[in-house]
Amino acid sequence: MRGKAALFVLSIALLGAAAAAEPARRVVSLNPSLTAIALALGAREQLVGVDDYSARAPGAGGLPTVGGLYDPSLEAVIALAPDLVVLVPSAEQRGFRERLETLDVPCLALDPVSFDDVLTAIATLGARLGRERAATARVDAIRRTRARAAAAARPLPALRGVLVLQRDPLFVAGAGTFVDDMLRTLGVENLAAAQPGLWPRLAREWLLAASPELILDASPGSEPAASYWARWPSLPAVNGQAVFDIPEGVSTLPGPDLDEALLVLAAAARGPAFAAALRAEAR
Amino acid sequence: MRRLTPLRLAATLGALALLLALTLALGVAVGPSGLALCEVWDVLAGRSGGAAADIVLSVRLPRVGLAAAVGAALAVAGVVFQALLRNPLADPYVLGVSGGAALGGIAVLTLGGAAGLGYAAVPPAAFAGALGALLLLLAVAGPAGRLSPTSLLLVGVVFNAFASAAIVFLASLAGLAEGAQVFLWLIGSLADARPALVASVAGCVAAGLLAVVPFGRALDLLALGEESASLLGIDTKRVRLWLLLASSLLVGAAVSVAGLVGFVGLVVPHALRLLLGPDHRLLVPASALAGAAFLVGCDTLARTLLGGRELPVGALTALAGGPFFLLLLRRTQALRR
Repeated sequence: MRGKAALFVLSIALLGAAAAAEPARRVVSLNPSLTAIALALGAREQLVGVDDYSARAPGAGGLPTVGGLYDPSLEAVIALAPDLVVLVPSAEQRGFRERLETLDVPCLALDPVSFDDVLTAIATLGARLGRERAATARVDAIRRTRARAAAAARPLPALRGVLVLQRDPLFVAGAGTFVDDMLRTLGVENLAAAQPGLWPRLAREWLLAASPELILDASPGSEPAASYWARWPSLPAVNGQAVFDIPEGVSTLPGPDLDEALLVLAAAARGPAFAAALRAEAR
Repeated sequence: MRRLTPLRLAATLGALALLLALTLALGVAVGPSGLALCEVWDVLAGRSGGAAADIVLSVRLPRVGLAAAVGAALAVAGVVFQALLRNPLADPYVLGVSGGAALGGIAVLTLGGAAGLGYAAVPPAAFAGALGALLLLLAVAGPAGRLSPTSLLLVGVVFNAFASAAIVFLASLAGLAEGAQVFLWLIGSLADARPALVASVAGCVAAGLLAVVPFGRALDLLALGEESASLLGIDTKRVRLWLLLASSLLVGAAVSVAGLVGFVGLVVPHALRLLLGPDHRLLVPASALAGAAFLVGCDTLARTLLGGRELPVGALTALAGGPFFLLLLRRTQALRR
């Protein structure tokens, strides 16, 4: 019992110490979403290195790279002498994080999967970067847009839809993801929500049988979504001309611009006028 | 081919040891961070700390150590398999021992999360997979403990096909992230060189090498054929079993951390056989040294070729090993004419 009490006191003390700690000055980000959040919070100066995918993001140009998402170079990270490495707790970076921690490099693992996870990631990263105010402003703006979109979509008829991440093999956004949350906010029933997994891989047959009225296609293919999906004219979405290209990254990156992502999805799902009204309200 | 004298043995192994020492020194001296040579030297002399010390002592040293251990293990396992099966195509991959190890590791990687197994459970699972594949090989191919080379190879081929199918199946069950990790495993990479892991792998490899080296003469005789070997006083059944166990210890240890690094077990022994002749008393230790040097060299290239971005070393061993081997084969045939 005494041990537990001591542990509790210790963890409170540690939490206090973390909150009072100096903002990180030399940050390496190993995930594009986390890099985007850091950049959006104005922490470009504090970033000293990023992974290859992050480096392609606008605003990250010129930052030293330390390798891919799955095979970052430990040596390249350590050579940057970071006082914080931010990463995601997925399988491929777990071993990497262990090794960084044995070398006394502080790590912050954030897992932006659901909509609220992303907001938490923005707030947590903002706190560690000493940019609480910017983070709070961002989180509030996203929450406001979501609330307005939900209110505006409530009277509209529900739509049955999917958001496609990749066409072949077919990967779609599943339940529990921030995409699923945005779809529900807009009154779209995510047909893939019943499938297991966050980003389920499904057969094309499943999609044909599910007969979506709305297809939001965020896949990286060069062929326009409307002409690609027109191969299956039985799809209600094809019949009703409700197949839309969603710019890659906007709705697939759990980053700092979820309000913008929501507006892009809203324009496709509920029409440009609906989105324009939301945008006007946001100003 | 010249006779093996103690002098020739010592001179050849000495030269190869020097080659290994040079590649090890190069591997520690260069890396993607562009640390200056004098900084590396200061760290090694204990005069410097900080990030430079972390890079040299905690990243590069374990990495070259792991490369040396894995290279030696794969090359020696290749020599043993080729002699035992009297088949130049035999190597840890053909026999399915590597495939079994990969299957074990990937099963934990993709399904382990559900069973509460962490990333740390991957190497032991790979090792168990290698041993499992070997036990299956022994159980199926040798009902009376006698292993016909053909049936052993055949079982290896079938098991490999099974293992790759199972790996593809697991990879397609897995999510996007785990799928990419499986891909890295299948190519082979030495990025996971944690010091504690390197120490345990090096221990296993050292044990395996010590178990094989004294059997150079026996391997020579076994390579002539089982009958001649028994006539010349070798307990073929027991020696075979011992050597198979030792070499699967070598492969299991290597694959459990590095994934499927290809070509080392095939190229290094054959290259050395062409250069040094078929005497296993020389070939086994020479393969250990040359295999280690080959993989350390390839991994140094893999780490530095693209700056911050690392190449999987398995891709390089196959790219470098294939043409080199063909060249050597051609030159030897030209000399014989």
